[in-house]
Amino acid sequence: MMGGNVLAPGEAAWILFGGFFALLALRVPVAVALGMACLPVMLIEPRLGAMTLMQETFNAYNSFILLAVPFFLLTANLMNVGGITDRLVRLSRAMVGHFPGGLAQINVVLSIFFAGISGSSTADAASQSKIFIEAQRREGYDDSFSVAITAVSAVLAVIIPPSILMIVWGGVLTVSIGALFLAGVIPGLLIGLVQMATVHAYAKKRGYPTYPRASLKELSFATWISFPALMTPFIIIGGKIFGWFTATESACIAVLYAGLLSLVVYREMDLKALYGALGETGRLAAVALFCVGTASAFGWLLAYYKIPEAILAGVSAWGMGKIATGFFIAGVFLVVGCFLDAIPAIIIVGAILQPLAMEVGIHPVHFAMIGIVSLAFGLVTPPYGLCLMIACHVAGMKMGAVIKDTMIMLLPMLAVLGLVIMWPDVSLILPRLISPEFLE
Amino acid sequence: MGGVMRETGLRHAVQRLADLYSRILSALLALCVFILIFPVALQVFARFTDFLPHYIWTEEMARFLLVWTIMIGAMVGLKEGIHFNVDLWPDMQGRPRAALDLVTGVFVLAFAAAFLWYGMEFVDFAWFRISELAELPLWLIHLAWPILGFSWLLFGGLKFYDDLKTLFGGEAP
Repeated sequence: MMGGNVLAPGEAAWILFGGFFALLALRVPVAVALGMACLPVMLIEPRLGAMTLMQETFNAYNSFILLAVPFFLLTANLMNVGGITDRLVRLSRAMVGHFPGGLAQINVVLSIFFAGISGSSTADAASQSKIFIEAQRREGYDDSFSVAITAVSAVLAVIIPPSILMIVWGGVLTVSIGALFLAGVIPGLLIGLVQMATVHAYAKKRGYPTYPRASLKELSFATWISFPALMTPFIIIGGKIFGWFTATESACIAVLYAGLLSLVVYREMDLKALYGALGETGRLAAVALFCVGTASAFGWLLAYYKIPEAILAGVSAWGMGKIATGFFIAGVFLVVGCFLDAIPAIIIVGAILQPLAMEVGIHPVHFAMIGIVSLAFGLVTPPYGLCLMIACHVAGMKMGAVIKDTMIMLLPMLAVLGLVIMWPDVSLILPRLISPEFLE
Repeated sequence: MGGVMRETGLRHAVQRLADLYSRILSALLALCVFILIFPVALQVFARFTDFLPHYIWTEEMARFLLVWTIMIGAMVGLKEGIHFNVDLWPDMQGRPRAALDLVTGVFVLAFAAAFLWYGMEFVDFAWFRISELAELPLWLIHLAWPILGFSWLLFGGLKFYDDLKTLFGGEAP
């Protein structure tokens, strides 16, 4: 294949990466920047032509796996308009409202519940920004703290199963999605825990308010009314593990269940709200997935010129061990996550790094968890951190004003990432105990 | 002055058409997302019940509908300016901002033109082909590519025109 190409791999790499970053700096939308970086290469190379861009974007969109994205977004939107979120807020308040910084603790705990139902961090950031930022402002929390905690807690949605990133990762790099779902539980809960500790430290230092402890009666009542919603993760993850349905289908089941609760059990959704939820879902899913198409074309071109192999040949020569490689992989994903959305990053970078991870014997599920957790952190790192952008937008603040608090909150989360890297069992123990056949 | 008036009138008419067009696209988008649920739900429930038929085309239907959902959403997304970008100069306002937006706009319009031009070739290429499972004509799906190109030229062109006016015409819109 290499013989007969007009461009040498090095030249192609310069055009692709140079063009992409130059266009990004000019504020060209990411999807367009990726596509416009590909076009000159395709037009120069007589064997390719611009039709390759059409065909590769089509191939990317024509995917049953990606259907999970609109489904999980719709689940989240239905939860919000259908009264599910309200009940989970009440339960969170009964559980942790009496801790220092009660409202911010509720913010984190709600994200954990939300993460177990929806698999989309952007949906979490969008809905919780509306719920919490203004409310925390009224109770005297600092604005930058409120925006930062809302954004960083939203990343839990893609680490705690179900998760869009796990479905895409499993589909693109052929890893068992059931195993990924189980592997995400402990790292996700650990990150939630360190976030609560961070809130505690902030609240003690700055004297943030707290609520009176909820009575046992209130706690049991809140649990009772939230019970149907709390069943969702067990239906989704259980269904996936027992093989009742595929990952994408599990996302559809989540939509149906959230719709059923909203329409029949809680009865808080009307047609107008449903139309709004559908439109919102379509917009967010489409702009996220449109990027995936041009990113796939970009990744396809990299593979065509065998550029990943060239990059990896250099890295392999360093002779890193398992743990060093794990940190290297996390570092690459953290940096890439600053500039690229997580799904395109998986498609382009995940495929590049996989052989490296396999070479030193990192388990594919462990590799996936390192990648997913790192990319999840990328959702709150500027300049391109979607969750942080959404939270700032809702609060009407500039990203610059919230970076310091966000970075402070990221530090203990990075410690958990370090733990995930150094101790594979944090990820692997649950899949090994519950369904070892997934790990083969 | 008459020329300016006529031009503004035309600009106004195109804007109204674009607004109407994007409202139709928005409605189609919501409809697409809603319909998406059915083939996938049918696929799951058919597996556990006897009275539902096991259609082989549900998966393909869902995929094709997703393609259209993404493309229509991407069209609406450009009109509403919600495509993700990396903003290195968030504080820029007025004329400098319009100038930078024009540079951005050139690339967006070039991308749109490529999708329109090569998209038509893409439709032509699929003219006599049908899909594997549902045996749908493939050009029906490929059609989304030139339509996206056209829609982006329309929405992006209007924005480009406004930026030009801001840059050279004095007051900001």
